[in-house]
Amino acid sequence: MKERLSGRSLRLYRITKKIGEFQLRNISLEFFPGEYFVILGPTGAGKTVLLEVIAGMHTLDAGEIWLGGENITFWPPEERLFGFVYQDYALFPHLSVRENIIFGLKNKGLPLAAIVQELNAVTAMLGIAHFLERFPYTLSGGEQQRVALARALIMKPRVLLLDEPLSALDPCTKETLQQELKRLHQLTGTLYIHVTHDFEEAFFLADRVGVIDQGRLLQVGSTVEVFSRPRTAAVARFVGAENIYQSEIILRDGRKYVTLGEALLQVETDLTGRAGFSIRPEHIQVNSLRQPGNCLPGKVVSVYPKGFYAKVIIDAGERLVAIIVARENNFCPLFPGSLVYCSIAAGVINVFPL
Amino acid sequence: MGSRLFKTFNVLVTSLVLLFILAAVGTVLVRGIPYMPASLKAPELVFAIRLSLLTSIVSTAACLLAAMPVAYTLARYNLPGQGIAANLLRIPLTLPPVVSGVCLLLLFGTTTFGETLARMGLRFVFTVPGIILAQFFVNLPALITVLKAAIEAVDIRLEYVARTLGCTPVRAFFKVTLPLIRNNILAGLILTWGKALGEFGAVLMLAGATRFKTETLPISLYLNMATGDMEALMASAAIMILIAVISLAVFERAGVKLYERVPGL
Repeated sequence: MKERLSGRSLRLYRITKKIGEFQLRNISLEFFPGEYFVILGPTGAGKTVLLEVIAGMHTLDAGEIWLGGENITFWPPEERLFGFVYQDYALFPHLSVRENIIFGLKNKGLPLAAIVQELNAVTAMLGIAHFLERFPYTLSGGEQQRVALARALIMKPRVLLLDEPLSALDPCTKETLQQELKRLHQLTGTLYIHVTHDFEEAFFLADRVGVIDQGRLLQVGSTVEVFSRPRTAAVARFVGAENIYQSEIILRDGRKYVTLGEALLQVETDLTGRAGFSIRPEHIQVNSLRQPGNCLPGKVVSVYPKGFYAKVIIDAGERLVAIIVARENNFCPLFPGSLVYCSIAAGVINVFPL
Repeated sequence: MGSRLFKTFNVLVTSLVLLFILAAVGTVLVRGIPYMPASLKAPELVFAIRLSLLTSIVSTAACLLAAMPVAYTLARYNLPGQGIAANLLRIPLTLPPVVSGVCLLLLFGTTTFGETLARMGLRFVFTVPGIILAQFFVNLPALITVLKAAIEAVDIRLEYVARTLGCTPVRAFFKVTLPLIRNNILAGLILTWGKALGEFGAVLMLAGATRFKTETLPISLYLNMATGDMEALMASAAIMILIAVISLAVFERAGVKLYERVPGL
């Protein structure tokens, strides 16, 4: 399958599209051949509209879309042939699984023998050969998702667009299919563009991530970069950095500090003046004894057990959220009212301009 | 009101309504059926039946051909002034059929437009094409409403997906949307046909009531009433009721439940 795929990048250039009250604003973005790109954003951020714009379902108000050296802005969806898998799979309810999957190949007018060959290949790849005669309404969410993927992949699309394909699944099926998506991506080598609001899903699947909110693209980068170095408070909040503050950057003895409550925290940054900073909850170490380096005394406000870890809210002059894994908890028994020391390494404090 | 009393009340009202309909329809059938064999040999009634079937089938087909693109436009596109257009298209639905007939009579009988068409051989005033036009005008909005609701009920993303799989918009409509609204189309057609078969007011105004020329079944019924021919009157009424009951039964057997599956009714 891999050798037949396009090696061209897909570029969005200053895309603007207004639909009702909602607007995509000036989005420029390049997707590299064969990468797994995840567009991350809250509900209503414009993720689905962006995917539909890429697929050619809406004409643009402004901007251009390029596939390699070709301007495909005005190509209709049937010429772009980008695969599309919707959140609820959008299987054709009046057709059997087999007819759903070969729908596109029949449109192409392929000979029956070729259709059967492609059908066998794709159903074997996705493990769905045993329910080809069933109708979509008889299938579970996971099965429907596999059929929708088969229907898109059998066309050997230049790009596969996935609109929150895992959000309607139970946690167990979701994890299995997450691994399946990764395997299919490696197998096909196609450019996958996947939108989701789940940053854990993005972290697992993505080579690169783009964060979108209110129709604007806020940040693009590798997963590690976006998760640990968000460039705005909105991105920081969305990728789960729950501790977000503002401070003057104070220069003292050649080192830079920010203030959090009454305390000074050393940071590593080139910025000066007023700035924002964020700390991921898992980067805060909660101890019963004072530690060297950045260390804030505080009082536990509440503890929320979450299975193998607990979320701890601490009053350290400002509200701090920390995540404690169960085994560490044994060393520091935490109850509301406990006095603790929060240790935060200078390198994990992400400073961003306001 | 307790749940038992509530249920009793509802069942009682339903039974009374059912009884009322059966009494009204049954009276005509009981009195009309004995006259049917003799009436069916009368050339005038045979003419009326044939004309009614012909005009109602042609006008129903014309309604379908016009209603489908209109319904698709209203359901799928977001054009400026679309809301106003949708309301304007509903006007004949709310007009008394007689008034619809007057509108058509004035348009085709007294304007340059009508005269031009007549010179080209398209005469609608006091002609059989006038019967078809009157049925078409009166019934089109209802079919548009039925089809629009049916198309809206089909997720537009199914068409989007079909297009990513190589379908043009037309092919996506025929391969995906049309099969999914098949039952609604059949239900809409039987309703339209039934109404066309029974259309009286608009037909009378535009095509007139001329024996052996523009005499459909309802017109025949009206003429028989006017001349006091009660036997032929009851036979015509009984035939129309039987046609309605048989067509309802046929479509029920075909799996189309007229009032249950048609959204928007």
